[in-house]
Amino acid sequence: MPLLRRSSVNSKEKLRKLADEELMERVADCDADAFEVVLERHADAAFSLAYRICGRRSVAEDIAQESFLALWRSGARYDRARGSVRTWTLGIVHNRAIDALRRSGTHDRRRASDEGIEETLEAPERTEDQAVENAVSSEIRGALGELPSDQRKVIELAYFGGFTHTEIASMLDTPVGTVKGRMRLGLQKLRSQLQGWQAVSG
Amino acid sequence: MNPREPDSTCMNRDDAAAYVLGALEHDEHERFREHLAGCAQCRAEVAELQPVVDELPASVPATTAPKEMRARILVTVRSEAQLLDAAGVGADRPAKSARPWYRRNDFVLGVTAAASAGVAALVAVLIAVGGSSHTKVVPGEGIGTARTAEVSLTRRDGHSELVVRRMPQPALGRIYEVWLKRGESEPQPTNALFSVTNGGSGAVDVPSLHGVKEVLVTSEPTGGSLHPTSAPVIRVALGSA
Repeated sequence: MPLLRRSSVNSKEKLRKLADEELMERVADCDADAFEVVLERHADAAFSLAYRICGRRSVAEDIAQESFLALWRSGARYDRARGSVRTWTLGIVHNRAIDALRRSGTHDRRRASDEGIEETLEAPERTEDQAVENAVSSEIRGALGELPSDQRKVIELAYFGGFTHTEIASMLDTPVGTVKGRMRLGLQKLRSQLQGWQAVSG
Repeated sequence: MNPREPDSTCMNRDDAAAYVLGALEHDEHERFREHLAGCAQCRAEVAELQPVVDELPASVPATTAPKEMRARILVTVRSEAQLLDAAGVGADRPAKSARPWYRRNDFVLGVTAAASAGVAALVAVLIAVGGSSHTKVVPGEGIGTARTAEVSLTRRDGHSELVVRRMPQPALGRIYEVWLKRGESEPQPTNALFSVTNGGSGAVDVPSLHGVKEVLVTSEPTGGSLHPTSAPVIRVALGSA
């Protein structure tokens, strides 16, 4: 078995105490240890999002892997003023996953945006560190669940299914203007629910 | 855009939601982006709705990322960091505000392109830039399923590393293991196990090569084996070490 050098263990512990933004400054200087901590923190969320969109583990792995390598190679371009490291990372994953979905054809896209896909996903493995994250997740799932189904559907088809508003309009046999209106109403409602929750918890 | 009353509703306002969801058609997306520059109302709408979309990933059921995926990412990242380190970038790092030369697009593109083109010579070039007089690069060969692989073993100050490019990924549930062959005896197992990226790149530290005639790599069940269970896919022949 490989012997871990004590100095490397110590420095890893110090890195784990840093905020994401501080780690990214080191990643910009090609610090692989700092990158490893960023990877530890966000690999599960990145893989989960890619899996939710693509519905296949092998494709999700490829997308998450490419996204993290892009993060490593473009670390110097991260700008903390434009959002958290997590948002930035998941934005890369989302773009790549939707691109892959659009390239893969209609069959997979329908599957990825089917309601009830959660039943096909594996049971989550959670750790105590994720407790806070889970609270946020369940809040957002709850808020989505409370939306009128026609609003939730257009949001999910667009964000997780990669469909454009004109594709959604023809799938649902609904005017384009109505689809856009439902997207707006749905997002506005989510916003006020999440704000209400943040006001209570924060 | 025509001038509007301050409290009139912009007719493009509904596009903002479709825009932040990425649901506008490509040309519409570009047009709306241009429109944003001149419409404070739509900018405010986007600023309001974007954070909501940023939270949508949290609604996804949590799934643990595969360990092999993390391992493959780290193998690539560490090998790229070592390449940059070997080039001596740490010794004369520019001032913080300046963009380091190795982060310039042309260099990063160069590394990426070279890696994907399988230019193993890059290793030698970068190490030559590092200027260590104790560095030796020994080319190896890919065999069978790995015949397209570019293989090199770099030895520097008593430390050895095997670097591969264009290597096929090991089959599901398997990993590459490094073996050391001394004289005519059976290859000895090592704890040097590795996988490769989708692009076929990988690197692994190799234990002491004292007395070793050949470095071999085989595909083994995850966790490694004590005796090779398959034929070698990589061979690096060493002179008397």
